[in-house]
Amino acid sequence: MGLTFLNSTFLFAALAALLPLIIHMLSRRQVKTVDFSSLLFLKELERRKVRRVRIRQILLLIIRSLIILCAVLALARPTLSGLGSGTASHAKTSVAIVLDTSASMDRRSDDEPLFDRARGRAEDIAQLLGDGDEAFLVSAGRPARELLPAGTFSVDVLRDALGTAAPTGAGTDYAAAITRSLALLAESRNLNRELYVVGDMQRTGWEPLSHARVSPSNEVGTDPGAEPPRIFLLPVESVLGNRAAGAVRVERKYGGAAGAVSITAAIVNHATVAADIPVRLVIDGVHVGQSGVSLGPGAAGTASFSTVVDDSGWHEGRIELPDDALDADNTRHFVIPPSHRMDVLLVSAPGAPADRDAYYIKRALDPSGARDPYACAEVPTTALAYQEHGRFEVVVLANVGRLDSGAEQWLFEHLKRGGGVAAVLGGLTDVRYWNELLPAELGAGAIIEPVERRSGLRIAPAGVGHPLLSGLVFGERLIDDATVTRAFRAEPAGAEIVLELPGVGPLLTVTRPDRGGRAAVLYTGLDGTWNDLPKSGLLVPILHRTVAGLADAGRASAYAEVGEDLIVPYDAASVTPPEVELPDGRVVVAERLPGTAGGAVLRGAEQIGIHRFRGAGAGSAGAAGGAGADARVYALAAVNAPVDESDLTPAADSDIEAVLGERDWTILAADIPLEDAILVARHGRELWRVFVYAALALVALEMWIARPRY
Amino acid sequence: MPEESYRRFLDPTVVSKLASMEIRARLVVEGFVTGLHRSPYKGFSVEFAEHRQYMPGDPLKHIDWKVFGKTDRFYIKEYEEETNLRGYVLLDASASMGYGTTGITKIEYSRHLAAALIYLMLKQQDSAGLLVFDEVIREFVPPRSTPRQLHLLLSELERATPTAETSVGGVLHELARRMRRRGLVMVISDLLENPDTVISGLKHFRHLKHEVIVFHVLDPKEAAFRFDADATFRDMETGETMTTEPLSIRSDYVGAVEEWMARLRRECAESRIDYVPIQTSTPYDRALFSYLEKRKRLG
Repeated sequence: MGLTFLNSTFLFAALAALLPLIIHMLSRRQVKTVDFSSLLFLKELERRKVRRVRIRQILLLIIRSLIILCAVLALARPTLSGLGSGTASHAKTSVAIVLDTSASMDRRSDDEPLFDRARGRAEDIAQLLGDGDEAFLVSAGRPARELLPAGTFSVDVLRDALGTAAPTGAGTDYAAAITRSLALLAESRNLNRELYVVGDMQRTGWEPLSHARVSPSNEVGTDPGAEPPRIFLLPVESVLGNRAAGAVRVERKYGGAAGAVSITAAIVNHATVAADIPVRLVIDGVHVGQSGVSLGPGAAGTASFSTVVDDSGWHEGRIELPDDALDADNTRHFVIPPSHRMDVLLVSAPGAPADRDAYYIKRALDPSGARDPYACAEVPTTALAYQEHGRFEVVVLANVGRLDSGAEQWLFEHLKRGGGVAAVLGGLTDVRYWNELLPAELGAGAIIEPVERRSGLRIAPAGVGHPLLSGLVFGERLIDDATVTRAFRAEPAGAEIVLELPGVGPLLTVTRPDRGGRAAVLYTGLDGTWNDLPKSGLLVPILHRTVAGLADAGRASAYAEVGEDLIVPYDAASVTPPEVELPDGRVVVAERLPGTAGGAVLRGAEQIGIHRFRGAGAGSAGAAGGAGADARVYALAAVNAPVDESDLTPAADSDIEAVLGERDWTILAADIPLEDAILVARHGRELWRVFVYAALALVALEMWIARPRY
Repeated sequence: MPEESYRRFLDPTVVSKLASMEIRARLVVEGFVTGLHRSPYKGFSVEFAEHRQYMPGDPLKHIDWKVFGKTDRFYIKEYEEETNLRGYVLLDASASMGYGTTGITKIEYSRHLAAALIYLMLKQQDSAGLLVFDEVIREFVPPRSTPRQLHLLLSELERATPTAETSVGGVLHELARRMRRRGLVMVISDLLENPDTVISGLKHFRHLKHEVIVFHVLDPKEAAFRFDADATFRDMETGETMTTEPLSIRSDYVGAVEEWMARLRRECAESRIDYVPIQTSTPYDRALFSYLEKRKRLG
């Protein structure tokens, strides 16, 4: 049992209790001295009366000080905490309920929706609230948000909010939700402040995605004397076995049959037993393929499909797995954009030999000169600054020594507009210049030193194989050998490494600079004195895939997870923003992206499925055909549940501590009655009424004592 | 001078503005006498003798034979010597008598009253004496009825200023021992002393067959204690101080004063002493009436 003050700042006003004493002292100093004939009677009165008057004065002084003190203490809201529920009156409580509304909560357990169980536990908490108690409701879905616009003092309002809450298909972010809840509780002045986290306690949800623990500034309320909120975790448990369809990669097979696409889906078995998982491919509502994956417990694999689609339009597809506990990740939506010609700008050093790097690149991208699928234009660096922005999707810097400032600015603007940049380093490379450009502007690793191996070094795939190398890796080797005799040793610097030189370092890296578009760097030249890549069978597919990947990044992020922004290109000259037809058929208006590059965004996508964008699309190659949509649909985009939601493994204590830090927290299992666990610690006695009554009683006493007696 | 003009000299504040003590005394008495509408000297003149029917045992020499010749009845003629009175005015000049809040202090009021009494007595051919005291007898002028006695007594009154503490009881005892002939003792004092002592002294006079009138002079604020703000009161005699809340103790104070005066009145009545409480705002005629009443009773 302890005494705390909920408004302890008012305690400074307790000094006002000295006011009567000060006034008394000042008034005593101003007392006049009066000559009087005789103190005969006054002395007689002193024996029985004056002494009583003095005592009365002292008594009044004390009472007046006590009145002020009681008033101040009442304002400071003194509270005795820790009293048992049977002996103490109810002290006001502020409760923040973090309710997990992520996709993983949309599963069934014993034929009961898991979310309903979570909601039931939240309603149990609401049941314990009394008059004057305050409640907040925060969703732990990503992004965390308040399900009530403000704290409510009505249990009915809280119940209504709980009743309308539903799983959103979003990821889980307990850390953000807890941080928000603690901030709300910090503003509360109630004695009891409690934070309840109700959900499946999924491990991936406890990852501090913001790369920071819950802000310590929220640990305690604004009142330094207040106790930190008590944190209770109420897990709702369910079956953990789950199989999930992960990222889907769609690649157009260039050089093959028209409309031939390769579709690769990542499949993960999160169950504790091995499983043979049948995988179905559906495009435009038609089941076009089936595959199977055998995966051990916790293993991941891929299911690959090849099919042919109409090149002229958009197609919507999905990967389907059999039903299991969590339906949200059994279907993975994707889109296949129409084929279109990509414009590539080749930039070479002025006066460079015509049969070197740029030559090979141009021949690899457009071997027949038909400008299909890549239309290559070649300019020297001196002409780069004069090129039209927005015309080229990818710029390839072929063994360029350095760029003048005008060319630099043009390149940065190109990146800012989402364009791709590929840099092939070589004999003309000004190392000092590029070491300023690579890390700072392209996000790539700086050059450490030139490396030369007369015997040659065989090019190898990095790690388990970058998606760019899909189909080009056989075991741990590439499908064709290529050796490098000269290259630059470079720092990895956090870039995605596609190819590497064993014992030297990265050879081909892909990065996403801060400026917007993507960048790729090849740390070796494309001529016979540096390597034999031009003669191998690797150059064409790697260049095609790299340039295509860079171009795709610039066109649109046609994929998003629930809660993320869905961004598609849009005609910058168009006046009206595009409309978006949501998977449930509703139509909303997208938001125009600021800037001149054009683009539209649907903020915080909420529905899993295909989103159709209508309006004046930018660079649209055709309407969605196979989907049967009308001609105004210029782009499709797929929204899926976050991949990390598929891992249903509950968090370990260490995972929770990583988020909550040094705070005390308690797990309340489903079999523990909430009343027993919570009320004993919650109840206390607010004493402000006692002090108000005391102040009133003292006022009455003061008036009685100070009443006129003449 | 018109009657109303004389009457205003019964107002203490008016009298206090007059320069000469003799003029003050004369104007007070004239104002008082004017209000009586009959001569105060009637029946008291040394020339006039009252006749009464002869009673067996009366001395024959007092028979008025002229009246017998006219009326054939015996009448006795009474002489002036039988009505002559020795009056003692005892004036308290202690420091407490210097207190005053109505524009006139108690000692000023008392001096005027004493002067008027003396003037009146001497005009009636009575003997008048004066005793000024505080804790001791400061001045004592034995009673006489000579013409220059008035000037002498008024001069003494002029010099009577409040100084030391009071000892009414002690002084009365001392004076009682000195006064061998019976007379009228008029005590003018605030009597701010232990009432037992005061009453003991007064009774001493009565024991010696003196007639006694006590003019108990108080300032209105002494009686009603009408002070509002808290104050430190300093005793004018002892210099002692006391801080108190007048509002809180007023009722008790007034009660104590009334109880004190009631006791004085009761004790005086029991000893057949005339007790005349007056305040410095009281017109002088009240005191003078008291004197005349007493004088009348004394014959």
